[in-house]
Amino acid sequence: MTSSHIDINGRKVWVTEQGRGTPVIYLHGIADLHGIDAEPGAFHMALGDQCRLIAPAHPGCAASDEDEALETIDDVVFHYLRVLDALDLDRFALAGSSFGGWIAAEIAVRYPERVEKLALIGPTGLAVPGHHIGDIFWYAQPDDGVRYDGLRDLLFEGPKTEIGMAVIPDKKDDIEREMGKYKVFRFASLIGFKPPYLYNPKLRSRLDRYRNPALVMWGAEDNLVPRAHADAYTEGLGDARLETVEGCGHSLIVEAPEQIARSVTNFLNE
Amino acid sequence: MHPVKLFCWHFMAYPYLPEDFDEKYDTGWVTVPNSLWDRDQARGLYQEYIDQLVYADELGFDGMVLNEHHQNIYGLMPSPNMIAAALSQRTKNGKIVVLGNILPMHLNPLRVAEEYAMLDCMSDGRLIAGFAVGGGPEAFNYDVPSPRARRQFWEAIDLVVRTWTEDGPFTHEGLEYPLRYVNAWPRPQQTPHPPVWVPGARSRETMENAAQRGYAYFLSSRSHGDQTRQAAQAYAKTMAKYDRTYSPFDFGILLSVYVSETDEQAKIESQEGIWYFLRNCLKGHLRTKGRTLTWGPGVPSTSPDSWRGFLEQWQFGAGQLGDTKDWEELDQRASIIVGSPETVRDKLLALVERAQTGNLLIQFHFGNMKDELARKSMRLFAEQVAPALREQSSDIFARDFPALSYLEPAE
Repeated sequence: MTSSHIDINGRKVWVTEQGRGTPVIYLHGIADLHGIDAEPGAFHMALGDQCRLIAPAHPGCAASDEDEALETIDDVVFHYLRVLDALDLDRFALAGSSFGGWIAAEIAVRYPERVEKLALIGPTGLAVPGHHIGDIFWYAQPDDGVRYDGLRDLLFEGPKTEIGMAVIPDKKDDIEREMGKYKVFRFASLIGFKPPYLYNPKLRSRLDRYRNPALVMWGAEDNLVPRAHADAYTEGLGDARLETVEGCGHSLIVEAPEQIARSVTNFLNE
Repeated sequence: MHPVKLFCWHFMAYPYLPEDFDEKYDTGWVTVPNSLWDRDQARGLYQEYIDQLVYADELGFDGMVLNEHHQNIYGLMPSPNMIAAALSQRTKNGKIVVLGNILPMHLNPLRVAEEYAMLDCMSDGRLIAGFAVGGGPEAFNYDVPSPRARRQFWEAIDLVVRTWTEDGPFTHEGLEYPLRYVNAWPRPQQTPHPPVWVPGARSRETMENAAQRGYAYFLSSRSHGDQTRQAAQAYAKTMAKYDRTYSPFDFGILLSVYVSETDEQAKIESQEGIWYFLRNCLKGHLRTKGRTLTWGPGVPSTSPDSWRGFLEQWQFGAGQLGDTKDWEELDQRASIIVGSPETVRDKLLALVERAQTGNLLIQFHFGNMKDELARKSMRLFAEQVAPALREQSSDIFARDFPALSYLEPAE
């Protein structure tokens, strides 16, 4: 994998790339590359083996500069239009996990002709009455000052899974990982704190604008985004297939990296 | 030199929590169920608290301090301006310090400018206008995205002060609060405008912005040690950058006091209220146990650079004020000072000298403290602590700030 800065009107955007072939833009979430993790994981490596993976860090995350003017999800979409201009990409496949999936869906409903395929991995983004997205911000600090059970339960299959404990241990982590967590929460809170949490009330009614093939992947034990959101995405998008992954929570790409990479590549090759 | 100014701060805690509150509930903030509100017992509660502040005015305190909190048992003033309005009619001399209105939680800062101007007129020019960004719990109360709060905050302060000082109508062109017609009636009584105080937790951004504008900085930390002195020095240095000379009255601190006849008696009388305050009122804010919301990635209002600085000295699981186990530990934190008039006077004098601060904002009522105890402590403080504190602090300031001898005692 190689990473470098691209310039957007004087702001630096950190972009990681790997592989050849069909360009796939991947938009990250929290327990992810450019989120808590500084290095690519098995999911990103596997995807990079099969296609041309392009993974930018959101504004303020990893080594990307903050965007002082960023206030809403619309601003994020405009930010990515400029990133696509700078990369000279007209048509591409688009994938995203967690709120990265939300951003991907927002781009797809606005520019359906440019997005040839859309893969959403545990996406937030929708308002489904009675089925509220959980509050990661509330649990960002340790329970009783010493345990991250609450946060891990939202992000993984349960509060004490092996992978969850590895990504978010019950201690002061390496400073760079702590900073990664702070910065990804900061970005998420800009677009997703109000309305609470991590959705755009208008997105659901716009999903039908996207007509190209879509894959929606969901952890059967996702404790952050209720299952009703998976159904709403699948029904709302014109040509979408839902794949539920047993034994996984919200952070599919670190809980079952090879399986998710395989599903995404199969979908892209269909 | 003018002696130290002594203010009485009332938080207006909810005092009727069940005995098993700490076992049953993980926080006293935001989600603490309001079914715990006991209508019968709480009848007359605001009256009792307002009467205590009126008593502070009668005892000769320099002012009364109020602040804004929402959906919690620590402080029952979602609108401190309402209490300030009541005080404007029932007190005569002391300043009315609202510290402050949490600007990002107000839809429109013009409303704050209007209400503060009303309070200044209603109190015959006794208002000190405080403005706050809001902490962790506040972000969750009204779902205010923290990273934007600071930008909103300084744009709002500048708009409020401009509303008070510039003839209207004018147009405000701002990112957060664009307004076509700004023309507030009434205008404040004080000229050019009521003093502005800004609380901060030592972040560089807040110090820079406050010093640049010439506002007083109030350290919101509840514990005092070397860092209090360092904060005062940092603020003095920041003021110098903008060609301003630090005086002790540009800096204030919050502390809590209980005074009785003897050290032992003071502990016996204050024990119940103080531990109710530490265990219940601070649960969720300044206590590690339970669901703490004070800071962290969930409420990322500090810049990433400041956060890195914090992380470098952060100790995972370190106890906070609300985790204090016993009197000895309480004493070390220099946050709540309990004792005889002599003990309290000596400790406060040492604090004034070390921190070089001219504003002591003192909490006298703790948690579920009985009215007669809070009043007794206030009276003993006013009669047996304040006179010596004023006299000796005046000498200390004259010695340490000779260039500021023009700051004579007010009439």
